[in-house]
Amino acid sequence: MIKADSLKKQYGNIVAVDDVSFEVQKAETFGLLGPNGAGKTTTIKLLCGLLKPDAGTVTLDGKTDPGLIDVRLSLGVVPQTLAIYEELSAEENLRFFGRIYGLSGQKLKERVRDCLEIAGLSERSKERVSKYSGGMKRRLNMVCSLLHEPPILLLDEPTVGVDPQSRNLIFDTIEDIKKQGRTIIYTTHYMEEAQRLCERVAILDHGKILDMDTVENLITKHGGPSHIEAEFEEKPPDPGRIKSLIDNKDVQFEENEIRFQTEKPMESLAKLNSSGLRFGSLKIQTANLEDVFLNLTGRRLRD
Amino acid sequence: MKTVLFLAIKDLRVLLSDKGNVFWVFGFPVMFALFFGAIYSGIGKGPSGMKIAVVDDDKSEFSGNFISELESDEALKIIPTSRDDAVDKVRKGKIAAAVILKPGFGDGFEALFNSEDPKLEIASDPSRRMESGYLQGLLAKAQFKTLSGKFTDRQWMKGQVGLWKNDMRSDNDLDSGQKKLLLNFIDSLDTLLNDISEQNYQAGFGEDILNFAKLDVSRESEGPTTSFQITFPQAMLWAILGCTATFAISIVKERTNGTFARLCIGPIGRAHILGGKGLACFTTCVFIMSILFIASKTIFKMPIGNIFLFITASLCSVLCFVGLMMFICTLGRTEQSAGGAGWAILMIMSMIGGGMVPLVFMPSWLRPFSHISPVKWSIFALEGAIWRNFSPAEMIYPCLVLLAIGVTFFFLGVEVLRRRKD
Repeated sequence: MIKADSLKKQYGNIVAVDDVSFEVQKAETFGLLGPNGAGKTTTIKLLCGLLKPDAGTVTLDGKTDPGLIDVRLSLGVVPQTLAIYEELSAEENLRFFGRIYGLSGQKLKERVRDCLEIAGLSERSKERVSKYSGGMKRRLNMVCSLLHEPPILLLDEPTVGVDPQSRNLIFDTIEDIKKQGRTIIYTTHYMEEAQRLCERVAILDHGKILDMDTVENLITKHGGPSHIEAEFEEKPPDPGRIKSLIDNKDVQFEENEIRFQTEKPMESLAKLNSSGLRFGSLKIQTANLEDVFLNLTGRRLRD
Repeated sequence: MKTVLFLAIKDLRVLLSDKGNVFWVFGFPVMFALFFGAIYSGIGKGPSGMKIAVVDDDKSEFSGNFISELESDEALKIIPTSRDDAVDKVRKGKIAAAVILKPGFGDGFEALFNSEDPKLEIASDPSRRMESGYLQGLLAKAQFKTLSGKFTDRQWMKGQVGLWKNDMRSDNDLDSGQKKLLLNFIDSLDTLLNDISEQNYQAGFGEDILNFAKLDVSRESEGPTTSFQITFPQAMLWAILGCTATFAISIVKERTNGTFARLCIGPIGRAHILGGKGLACFTTCVFIMSILFIASKTIFKMPIGNIFLFITASLCSVLCFVGLMMFICTLGRTEQSAGGAGWAILMIMSMIGGGMVPLVFMPSWLRPFSHISPVKWSIFALEGAIWRNFSPAEMIYPCLVLLAIGVTFFFLGVEVLRRRKD
């Protein structure tokens, strides 16, 4: 459905996108995960034809020119920066963008009504957008791209700077869209978003794709060991015994707490349980995409 | 075309949603134009109610008549006072000038033309030279009018002729030939004064020897009948310039708002986007022109030579500047730079095109450059329709120039927008 082949884009001496290639199947949600400046937005701009690549090609639904009218009609792009008219109401914005995409009459009316409902803006649809909260604007920004029901959706950090309520609404909307069988590319620097929404994720840094796979496979490959924190009811009398019990020399002791990393968290816990010591609390932190990024780049996603 | 219409409607909605915008786009140009017109509506009349002090040290019948003549002039406001007070008032800038009538001012022609000892003095503020110059004209007019009143006094005239005759005879500087000629002329005049009937004498010296108002009669038949006919084209131009300058930042504004990118991603071309802006700008300009037109007809009662040609000239002017705006709005990456570029270009065009200073006052070397300014062609076309009595054939040339400029800049703007991929 979407194919990026050896894409390259340079601004002066800065390489924004460097030999980026990926393929997204129909009805798949594909994530581009990376910190700010990783090249996510540039990649989206290259995909939708806002920028021309210095090298490489983009294929959308078998067509290599994103400037073609039918390609544009098949695309819905939610830009990272708000792209709505604050001087107009939500309804006026939707009606305008709907008309631009060729909607008219009853169809336009219905789509405007549906999109207002999706965005949770039906009651304030006639208010000027400048009076909306940041979250409301974000929601409107997103539904403006859904009006024409595009089969391909490119979402560029749609939740930046929104409140938790709006974020959940945006997630729910995206999950609904996924169920409709649309193809989605979702860029974010929040690993929990990528983990929740995307089937496959490409880790992007300094314009390059470091790895690309399902979330589980990425964690297995690059996530590293799980972290265990256990608090006992009493201070362990013999720390050496615990170390040998779980076969880990790097266990940290602090009063009646212990901390360690392990590739086999359940096995280690079973061994600790057999020691006869009673747990006060237990915390197991399995690896996530944040760890994947850390292990791949040596930096945190939000550094 | 539908898309362009939707884009234009959207732009107009955005424009109308902001009260500040409404004022700057609609209210300000109209106010500006009317103000501009009102200021210049006094052209030809000179400054009205100019305050001057008059000191009458002559106290003669002639000086009294002269002061009455000055008082009857609407352009002057006379303050009778003493010499010291008059000079003091001029020094303090309270009045433009003081006129001092010295003893002997009413002694007929002798006093009037005596350059060695002038009987009329003007004390004026050097920083107000223009008013002083204007005053000198008014004084000369009053002096001749007063004198013309004396011409109807046969005895006074005879006395003056007697004085001239004596002066001629005693003047040793004149050569004998010239002296004989002048004495013959004065003798003839003396005979005329003795022999002419009272009826013919009065008819011969009408009341206005130098009546400046009569000059307006020729202007009425050939040129504009009201000063608004001169200022209205300039006023319209400023209204168009103000409107187009406001729209000049619209593309950059879309760019900074992010909506430009959304439009570019949509199934429309750059020409549509620019066309939409152009249509919105055109509609606004036409609306403003209509308001100005109605105001000029109802408030200022401005006659228009040919209404059809006026509409043609107006539309061509608007199309020209809309095209120009569509090029300007593709320049600059920030609202400030686009706005600055817009005003700079429009101002320069206005300056060299006669939008600020009439072309006749420009240095001769600068005047040829006015041909490259659409402002010149626009004013020319509008004047042609309003008071120059252009025929349709004469109107074709300036209108074609305006349309050519508009179309060229529109396509230039589309090209610039197409090439910019940011």
